[in-house]
Parts: sequence; C-alpha cells; structure tokens
Amino acid sequence: MKMFTKIALATAAAALATSAMAQPKPEAFVKERKAAFTLMAWYFGPLAAVAKGEKPFNKDDAVRATSMLVPLSKMPWEGFAPGTDKVGNTEAKAEVWSNNAKFKELGGKLETEMAKLATFANAGDAEAFKKQFGAVGGTCKSCHDDFKKKS
Amino acid sequence: MTKPSTELISAPVWDIFVRCFHWSLVLLFTAAVITGEIGGNAIAWHMRCGYAILTLVTFRLIWGFVGGEYARFGSFLSSPGKTIAFAKNMFGKGHDYVVGHNPPGGWMVLALLLTLATQATLGLFTNDEIATTGPLAQYVSEATSVRLTGIHHIIGKVLLALVGLHVAAVLFHLFVKKENLIRAMFSGNKSLPADLAREAQGARKASTTLGFAVFVLVIALVAVIVNWSVWFK
Repeated sequence: MKMFTKIALATAAAALATSAMAQPKPEAFVKERKAAFTLMAWYFGPLAAVAKGEKPFNKDDAVRATSMLVPLSKMPWEGFAPGTDKVGNTEAKAEVWSNNAKFKELGGKLETEMAKLATFANAGDAEAFKKQFGAVGGTCKSCHDDFKKKS
Repeated sequence: MTKPSTELISAPVWDIFVRCFHWSLVLLFTAAVITGEIGGNAIAWHMRCGYAILTLVTFRLIWGFVGGEYARFGSFLSSPGKTIAFAKNMFGKGHDYVVGHNPPGGWMVLALLLTLATQATLGLFTNDEIATTGPLAQYVSEATSVRLTGIHHIIGKVLLALVGLHVAAVLFHLFVKKENLIRAMFSGNKSLPADLAREAQGARKASTTLGFAVFVLVIALVAVIVNWSVWFK
C-alpha cells in the first residue's frame, strides 16, 4: 500500500471511531450518574454507624471508604448532560439544567467536603471524621432538597 | 357556652398530663423540624425527637379516653353542625366561653394528634437515600421506604400548616377575644363565667397513678418498636 492510502485509511478509521464514540445515548448518561450515586451510597452509608458512635472509628476502614468516595464524588456531574432531563426513570428535577450554576456549585461543595472527610480519615482523627461525616450528609441533603424529585 | 361576663372565676381545666404533654410536644416538634431541615449529623436528633413525639402522642391518644374530663375526646369532639355554628359565631362580636376545647379547637386537637402519630410512624420506615434509615425501614422494600419518605416530607408541610392555624387561633383568642389560652395551658386554670367555673370544679379529675402507668407502658412500647431490629433479630 502506498503511504497516502495508509494515511487515508487510518484517518477514515479514526474518524469512524470518533463518530461512534462522540455522544453516548441519553440513557447512558442517566446510568452513569445513577451508578455514581449508587456507589457513593454504598461506601458512605456504612460510615453513618461510626458517625453516630454505634461502631468504633477504624482508620483502615475509613481510609478505604474515602479513597473510593473522593473520586466517586466527582463522577456524577458529567452524567447530567443537557437533554437528559426526561430520560428513563431519572429523579433529577428540571432545575438541574435550568439552575445549573447552583447545581454545579453544590456538586463542587460535595467534592470539597468529601475531600476533607478523606483528610480526616487519613489523619486518623476520629472526632473530626465524625463531624465531617455530618457535613457531607448535609451537602447531599441541600442538593437533594432542590434538585432531586420527591418520591 | 355562655355569653361574656365580667365576673370570671378561675377554675381547673387542664390536668397536669395534658399540660406536660403539650409543652413537651411544642419543644420536641420545634426541635424535630429544625434538625430535620439541617440534616447531616442532626438527623440522629431528629430521630430521637420523633421517638419522643411518638411516645407523647400515643400517650395523649390513650389519655383522650381515660384522662381528666377535659382531656377526653368525648368531652371536646362536637357534631359538625355545632362546630360550624361555633366557628361562624367566633368572628362575631361576643365571646362564647367553653370550659375545655371549643368545637373547632377540639377537632384541631384530634387532627394534630392523628397527623403527628402518622408522621412519627412513617418516620420509622424512612430512607433518606443519604445515610439514614428509620429503625423499621428494613422490614419494607427500599422502594416502599423511599415512597414513605416522600409522604413523610409532605406530611411535614401539612403539620406546619396545622400548627400555624392552631397558633393563629390561640393568638386570635388572646388579642381579639381577650382570652389567654396560653397561660391556661401553663397553669391549668381558665378564667370562666361562674356557671362554667362551677362545672369545671366538679368535673372528673385525672388519676395521677393511671397517668404514670399509661406513660410508662407507652415508653416501653415505643422502646420495643424502635429497637425491634436490635433486640429481636
């Protein structure tokens, strides 16, 4: 094959691949954000017993959980793509898109508060960790109040 | 009911259980609303308030059958006709004194108690989809639990409206009808026209022993419900 043909084929293949990957289906966005929230609940929920003092603080457990939670706290937002407000069984309110600045701000707050939780876990500071757990939960709530449909 | 009189005599109306119930409920309801709004770690206190409210309201519902005369539902729930007539009259010039709750007030008491009981019971089954579940949530499906949480939020708003109406009516009596119902709920005594005062003085009194017995039983009952999953797993 001539060099020119090779380049042309490679370009065509790349173009095809890009167009196939360009935009996931709307349903996929909803899946993405739901998956992120589901996993967040999975790793966050069990820490409630620690915050309430029903279970002793265990540094290794806290570090492990928050090492998952910090990246998870950054994941849901790209799932809220425009045009995915009425897709499937989404519980997202239209305000996510109509008041996107506030939504983004609260999302950013979750990332910040979650990072702090990880800091206290890594420092093995049980008291600060328990208190910060409440701050993270409060951040979840403040966003749910405005942007998540009531069942 | 009687026409206003300048000669008012103080007479005992609200028994000690009714009064303690009322003001504890005021504090706990306020705390429950605030801690529920804050969320986060305050939710632990929201739940404790809920258990205490469930205890108080259950006690009060029983007390409505076995308490002092004016604590009893039989003494303050009137027919719809009487209730409407009284409510219409209320905005007139005079003032109809009533020993216990007046007819619309009586129905409001029942509405508040039943709504609070429903609210506190629903709370046991809730799942806030963050990190908190009520102590009985595990006995229903997650979908049910989440749906009940939605109802819990709606009833919270209904309760605020009912409480607002209740307080508005009391303030209406204080400022327009010049009858201080708030002081009466503290002291237990109402200033009444002579005939009503005599009626109140002769009315059935509450049994302190029975009151405490019922209260202890209800505490035990709520403790069992709240700790069911821990004690009986």
